[in-house]
Amino acid sequence: MADQANFERDAMEYASQLYSAALRMTRNPADAEDIVQETYLKAYRAYDTFKEGTNLKAWLYRILTNTYINRYRKQQRRPAEVELGELQDLYLFKRLGEQSGAERSTEESVLDSMVDSDIKAALESLPERFRMPVLLADVEGFSYKEIAEIVDVPIGTVMSRLHRGRKALQKKLWSLAEERGLTGPSQ
Amino acid sequence: MNAGCDHAVDYLYQYIDEELTWARRVRIRWHLRRCGPCLDAFDFENKLKARIKDCGRDEPPQELFDRIRALIEQEAADGQDI
Repeated sequence: MADQANFERDAMEYASQLYSAALRMTRNPADAEDIVQETYLKAYRAYDTFKEGTNLKAWLYRILTNTYINRYRKQQRRPAEVELGELQDLYLFKRLGEQSGAERSTEESVLDSMVDSDIKAALESLPERFRMPVLLADVEGFSYKEIAEIVDVPIGTVMSRLHRGRKALQKKLWSLAEERGLTGPSQ
Repeated sequence: MNAGCDHAVDYLYQYIDEELTWARRVRIRWHLRRCGPCLDAFDFENKLKARIKDCGRDEPPQELFDRIRALIEQEAADGQDI
């Protein structure tokens, strides 16, 4: 079991990462700070239940996720779960490939010219239960098994939400790229 | 698109996320070596994932660290009083 006296030394290095994730969840810097503070306080109080040598980062993310859900789901009075509908595989790649004309930009150059704020906006546009797995896999680099433990759903559910969440993210990125005029006319 | 392409695309994310068994990974890599369109698509998805990772980070204000440390120290002190 971990010693509370070592908590700061062990856990503080994850504060920036936790803040970034909290910001994508809450979409608001003040709320993100609140959630991270609450996460650290809860983690400190429970630190003697943390098994040393196991995954501290995943443990902190699990507390962060629960803190977020407890705080915001209550307020939202459980919004109807949004369905994403069926989307094509390789959505963005295929849309970009359908552009035509001399001004056609390559798939990868469009990726390069996308603005960071658009990518963040696209992430934040995802319904919560799809946003979390995408965030945890793409930004944080957690494995499917770790994500399953953090969000407390079976691994198969993680995979299907990740799959659908990524496609929805691509659809949003496509519409943002179109708005910015990054894409050529379609065929 | 043929059956090999369908199979590769089905496992695209598990491949990119390095979640496949060795045997399946080899099978997909073998397909990618022969199929330009699939290789392009996989490269694109990989780059997109990297792009999302790159812009997913925001630095918190320094005061956040200070406030967390203060909270923990307060909590530790309270614990000793009891």
